Amino acid sequence: MNELMPEHFMFLSAALFIIGMVGVLTRRNVLVIFMCVELMLTAVNVSFIGFAWEFNQLTGQIFALFIIAIAAAEAVIGLGIIMALTRQRDTVDINEVRELRQ
Amino acid sequence: MAAEVLVFNLLSGIAIVAAGAMIMMRNPVHSAIALVITFVNVAAIFVMLRAEFLAAVQIIVYTGAILVLFLFVLMLVNPDDLPEFHGARPLQQVFGFGLGIVLLAEIAAAILTRTVVAEPGPWTEEGMAQAGGNIQAIGQVLYSGYVLPVQATALILLMATIGALFLGRPDEDEEPSPSRRTVATISLAHTRGSDEPEIAALRAANVKHEAGDRDIIMARDADEFTSTPAEEEMKERSE
Repeated sequence: MNELMPEHFMFLSAALFIIGMVGVLTRRNVLVIFMCVELMLTAVNVSFIGFAWEFNQLTGQIFALFIIAIAAAEAVIGLGIIMALTRQRDTVDINEVRELRQ
Repeated sequence: MAAEVLVFNLLSGIAIVAAGAMIMMRNPVHSAIALVITFVNVAAIFVMLRAEFLAAVQIIVYTGAILVLFLFVLMLVNPDDLPEFHGARPLQQVFGFGLGIVLLAEIAAAILTRTVVAEPGPWTEEGMAQAGGNIQAIGQVLYSGYVLPVQATALILLMATIGALFLGRPDEDEEPSPSRRTVATISLAHTRGSDEPEIAALRAANVKHEAGDRDIIMARDADEFTSTPAEEEMKERSE
């Protein structure tokens, strides 16, 4: 592959997304899990922008822009929830939070 | 164009290694720094893929705002409460890594056998140069075809702001402010020389304190108005 192919960024996107997913599944700290969610959103952005580059379209870039805006809103809400959690339970361990399970 | 591929491989390699480091680090602050490295490399890849504006937005929003917010929240969390030295239960870790490898294989198969057909659009490098650049091109497309989504996004950001204010509000059962405290003298309702409380009679008489007009609260014994919340709270927590 002597030229930049679509497969390059597709593999990058897949790798970043799966690393994020593995992080969500294996970590216990709510903050790190949240960082992994952000990483997964970025991986999707790589896909969108790569396809926009491949097909000479701008729709993918527009969608990536919206995803970044939504990610910012999501980060604000999620960190607010984590703040409320630490204030109430004094923990960021996901295994300690089991109110909805019981 | 081999140099382009080389640069891409370098950037994506650093991004993937940093992402891997992020989920391996024990200290969440180190995780956040690894995430910054990943995001900066991804932004560089955006530049390679003709998305200069989004590269700038990526750095400003993600590494500038969200990561600072992360570190800020991290500083507010008591370091003694941080779990995981290290990770989850081993079964959970094995399951997670196994699932990741299986999913990677599946996606690799899908990528290598893909047959995506799409009409190429007008936004080649020349097309963008004709519009005046990447930002101008995005502006043209965004504000001609996506006005309603832009407004919906604005609404979502407003909602997020209100939600953050709601979630960050102080607790309801906080100590009342000093202005709401009533000033009173607590007095044992015994007349001098007697052991029998005479609350009813004294309340009926509406005795005032000698020094002024502050109320006297009549108590049957010395402990009636001295609750010990700190001790009870400690008992509740230890249970």
